[in-house]
Amino acid sequence: MSEKGGLKSLENGVLAKDLCVACGACASLCPYLRSTDGRIVKLHDCDLTEGRCFDYCPRTEVDVAKLHQAVFGRDRRDLDIGSTRRVVGARAIDLELRNRGQTGGVVSTLVSLALEEGSVQAAILTERRADLLPRGRIVRDSREVVTLAGSGYVAGPTLEALNGGSFENEDRIAVVGLPCQITALAKMRVSALDRRTPIDQVVLTIGLFCTWALSYGPFVDFLRKRVGRAEVGKMDITPPPERLLLVTTDSETSRIPLDEIRPFVRSGCDVCLDMTAELADLSVGTVEGRCGWNTVIVRTRAGEEILSRAEAVGAIETESLAEDYLGHLREASRLKKYRALKALEGKGYTDGGYLRLPNRLKRRIMSCGDEGP
Amino acid sequence: MLQNKDPINVIITGVGGQGNLFASQILGQMLLQKGYLITIGETLGLSQRGGSVMSHVRASKRETLPPLIPEGLCDLVLALEPIEGLRILGSYGHPDVLTITNTRPIMPMDVLAGQAEYPELEVVLEKMNELSRRVWTVDATDLALKMGDPILANVIMLGALGGLKILPYDVRTFETAIREFFPDDRLTTNLEAFNQGRTSVKAI
Amino acid sequence: MSIITEGRSGQKVLLMGNEAIARGAIEGGVKVCAAYPGNPSSEIIGTLAKIGPELDIYVEWSANEKVALEVAAAASFAGIRGLAAMKQNGLNVASDFLFNLNLTGSIGGLVVVVCDDPGAISSTNEEDTRAYAKIGDLPLLEPSTVQEAKSMIPFAFELSEELGLPCLVRSVTRISHARGSVELDDPVPLSRRPHFNTGRPLVNVPALAFHRKLRAKLHRCRDIFETSEFNEYLGPEQPEALIVASGTPGAYAQETLNLLKAEDRVGIIKLGTTWPLPESFLVRQLRRADVILVAEDVDTFLETNLKALCAQKGRELGIKRFLGRGSGTLPDVGEITPDCLTTAVAEILKISYEARPPEYARTAQEAVSRYAPTRQVGFCAGCPHRAAYWCVKTALALDGRDGFLVGDIGCYSLGFGPSGFEQMKTLHSMGSGAGIAGGMGQLARFGFDQPVMTVCGDSTFYHAALPALFNAIYNQANFLMLILDNSATAMTGFQPHPGTGQNAMGRQAPVVDIEAVCRTLGARIEVADPYDLQGTIEAVNRLLVDEKGVKVLILRQLCALVRANRGEKLYQVRVDQERCLGDGCGCNRLCTRVFRCPGLIWDKEKGRAGIDDAICTGCGVCGEICPQSAILTEEI
Ligand SMILES: Cc1cc2nc3c(=O)[nH]c(=O)nc-3n(C[C@H](O)[C@H](O)[C@H](O)COP(=O)(O)OP(=O)(O)OC[C@H]3O[C@@H](n4cnc5c(N)ncnc54)[C@H](O)[C@@H]3O)c2cc1C
Ligand code: SF4
Ligand code: SF4
Repeated sequence: MSEKGGLKSLENGVLAKDLCVACGACASLCPYLRSTDGRIVKLHDCDLTEGRCFDYCPRTEVDVAKLHQAVFGRDRRDLDIGSTRRVVGARAIDLELRNRGQTGGVVSTLVSLALEEGSVQAAILTERRADLLPRGRIVRDSREVVTLAGSGYVAGPTLEALNGGSFENEDRIAVVGLPCQITALAKMRVSALDRRTPIDQVVLTIGLFCTWALSYGPFVDFLRKRVGRAEVGKMDITPPPERLLLVTTDSETSRIPLDEIRPFVRSGCDVCLDMTAELADLSVGTVEGRCGWNTVIVRTRAGEEILSRAEAVGAIETESLAEDYLGHLREASRLKKYRALKALEGKGYTDGGYLRLPNRLKRRIMSCGDEGP
Repeated sequence: MLQNKDPINVIITGVGGQGNLFASQILGQMLLQKGYLITIGETLGLSQRGGSVMSHVRASKRETLPPLIPEGLCDLVLALEPIEGLRILGSYGHPDVLTITNTRPIMPMDVLAGQAEYPELEVVLEKMNELSRRVWTVDATDLALKMGDPILANVIMLGALGGLKILPYDVRTFETAIREFFPDDRLTTNLEAFNQGRTSVKAI
Repeated sequence: MSIITEGRSGQKVLLMGNEAIARGAIEGGVKVCAAYPGNPSSEIIGTLAKIGPELDIYVEWSANEKVALEVAAAASFAGIRGLAAMKQNGLNVASDFLFNLNLTGSIGGLVVVVCDDPGAISSTNEEDTRAYAKIGDLPLLEPSTVQEAKSMIPFAFELSEELGLPCLVRSVTRISHARGSVELDDPVPLSRRPHFNTGRPLVNVPALAFHRKLRAKLHRCRDIFETSEFNEYLGPEQPEALIVASGTPGAYAQETLNLLKAEDRVGIIKLGTTWPLPESFLVRQLRRADVILVAEDVDTFLETNLKALCAQKGRELGIKRFLGRGSGTLPDVGEITPDCLTTAVAEILKISYEARPPEYARTAQEAVSRYAPTRQVGFCAGCPHRAAYWCVKTALALDGRDGFLVGDIGCYSLGFGPSGFEQMKTLHSMGSGAGIAGGMGQLARFGFDQPVMTVCGDSTFYHAALPALFNAIYNQANFLMLILDNSATAMTGFQPHPGTGQNAMGRQAPVVDIEAVCRTLGARIEVADPYDLQGTIEAVNRLLVDEKGVKVLILRQLCALVRANRGEKLYQVRVDQERCLGDGCGCNRLCTRVFRCPGLIWDKEKGRAGIDDAICTGCGVCGEICPQSAILTEEI
């Protein structure tokens, strides 16, 4: 039995508990919830006891096994990084995409190709304007994709664009999102509530790897004190042991130690289980230690098809990844899960909080503790 | 029917904005013409804004009465809104009271918001009937809307009361009274409304 | 109201209490009348304003009650008759002047009519004005019927001139807003040319000398009251008990005794001159019985002063048993109704009284509690204030810093309730919103970090908000002031004010432009239309983040009642039943459950919203809030 609730339950269980990750799944569904400045704001009280806001939220019940079944049509085998068909290294061939892309430009290349060839008619991407607030954006023209390449490590309500958009003429939509957002999409798919959300039109989901995301307001206040009013260009995180946030403006690149950034990590991210967007068709991240290359996890046939076509038309190049790198990836993913369970415990959720985990998975995660983090 | 009673205690009730006070003024003027000493107690102020409104119209040939009718001593309720009529019976009714009610409900804010229920009209009428000697209904607001202005419901109600001959006034008394308030061009509409009420009142 | 100007002596007419007071003023030869509107007093000047030009009386709506009293006093200083009218709260505003005016005294007849509101039917308090008469050593009259309300005014003018003191007349809602048969008198023929005697300055220094003189005047006044026709005893020579009553309870008392068939057992001392008390008259009457029920509205003014008198005259009067509001025999607060008076007298006389069969009473009360849901007051259909508060609520939520709005007196006071989405968080006196906001706006230095808004109507702005506003600007407080400019003093019945371009007597007047005033004072100003929700919300949010100084947002939209009275509608509104989501997720009846304009209907059977054409005023705002665009607005 899955848990039911309305806005009140969402308010009490998620917003008031500071578990919200500002994914935007609950925004623009109705006039009661709105996102503004990276916050989800309740405008009026709603007394429905069952609502989509509650149903879609990735911080209300997440039944890992059930969602996996729903997306992949089978049980989960890989306990660390979720179902995979193959994991490869990849990067864009096009130099502009590669340069403007956050890592290797794979995400932008794939979305651009899908739009160009018509396998999707619209894509939900995330744009970052001068105010640095990430906003969902509906893209219908492949040429626009490159202008939205890059990311800023700030959480934002991307999915609001899906909820609020009008897709009367489109039946094939792609969504690029963080793991929490991909989870929300999966929850939309299994929701028994009315289907006015255009989830059935979403045919391709590309997930981004994610360890945590930052809270918009506090982080930007901090950043503005640090770099002033200047327009912020690329933001990137250097690999360990250095671990610096590099913030490029017209005039300079600030190097900010990650420890200074940590206070701005959303507290909802502390309890997040998912590093590699395990419910996406295709998940994309960096390859630690190999600058300019993406790690790509192909999970479904839809994911495989778009990646193969991209290879075939010469839009991207791929290479295989070393076994011990894959071992690292698995371990990093498992560690995030471990930290999440510990964080939930720390917040007083003795029953696993919002997570419903199969026992096998729970044991596997807790084995991290045996090894020591 | 009430001609032989002294004093005559009438309560006109409704919702703020329905022209309740105007109706009580006209009624007072008409009875004044018939040689009564009149006192009208009105509730103005905040209640004008969508709240319950009542005016107490008191007529006596002997003395000037104070502005409030004591509880349980109302002879006639003229309700511009059904549950407001019922509310008046609650405090001022007695077994011999006569009730004339408009049939068109106006929803209280809480009902609109789903926090309270508005009863079926039949239920209200049944209760009124249980609490009154006789009850009559008029589709005053519907008639007024047909005439192009919902505010005319108050005059239609006065017409209904006139038609029943419960109080000593007729359309001519009405015309004299209303002339003090309106220029000639509004007179015809008001007379028409009065006559509409006179002919469309129904006993239940 | 031709009857008020043309009625002749002996004629019997039906008048509203306030009209009767206006007629009384005419009969008393008034020349200058001034007031600030406030229920239940507004119709006094409202009536006079309409007929002022015809009778060569100067009538004005003043910016506030203090100014009104000063204007009326000026006439008196020049030897002609003046009248100021106000509600109970208004006398507080005027009192600073009043408590010096009593010392200098007046010359031409000067009457101050104050309308109290026992039960706070249209007020935020039920203050008892009579205390002012005692503090200020001023004569006080209390009518108990509409007839007396008229008759007392010419008397008050005469008395004022005889004593050289302003005379207070205390009316109450149940008189001011009652209508009754009134027998008219002819106006006194007065033809005085106003002239100020420069040889007799009105300066109350040294104060003690003037105070001594004032006391002497009050003693003279007492002598006059001893034989006043407004005080009378009705009843048997030797009653079992006495009712001492002033105001409307004085009128209820006789009916109460009739109902209880106790006319032979109880006597009524009806007092119309309640300060200073006519002591000898009272001593004579109080001798008749030892049980005394005091029936008066609001405070125990009479009761306390009678007790003092009886203590003073103990040897003559013996020991009395006082019953009333003080003893709990009558309710402690609220107005005295015929019903509570009847219950009290029945109890004293040990009579059992039932107006109707108990069985009936039970059924009737049950029917009401079961089938007649209470009707909360709220903004009218299409009221721009509802739209304004919707914007306030939305903007504050979006702002997210726990901001709030403080307010004051006007139609928009209803913002504290559901039809204003409970947005108004403080409510006190005229203009107090701006003052409180100014104070809050200074607290940032101690770590206060909530944005502060205040709201003010156009009429209230002129009355008392203006000093608070420039205080805040001068002292650099930080807040946002909304001025709800609906071009009307709507709460009290649409009196003109300095912003309307019309004076009380319907003549053209220069417009005192709020926007220009605020601009001159140096506030940052924006203007928006509250019916444009999005634009207004954005403006509020924009101004809220500006942390420097006083910001003013003028929300301009015509009062919906004014528009409706003109027979204008902006839109024909209807609900597309196909598109309406009703209580489904995605809407959950935003229009009827949350926005709650009375023009909307919720059809429970169909589960769809609708429009009540009898109520909708066609503002079209619900069309903006409907998430489904199901509410269609067609321009007319
Ligand atoms: C908050 C955040 C945390 C991340 N953490 C890690 C990590 O720990 N390890 C790791 O390997 N990779 C992480 N990534 C992913 C990495 O930064 C790259 O996005 C990824 O490698 C894809 O690179 P690319 O060059 O293919 O992307 P691009 O071609 O540049 O495309 C990036 C896409 O990401 C979308 N996007 C940008 N910002 C957001 C956002 N806030 N929310 C949702 N979508 C957004 C844009 O629409 C764009 O389409 C993170 C990304 C984000 C946004
Ligand atoms: S996590 Fe996403 S769905 Fe849940 S409350 Fe936050 S924004 Fe809404
Ligand atoms: S707001 Fe719109 S959709 Fe919702 S109930 Fe009202 S008319 Fe229907």
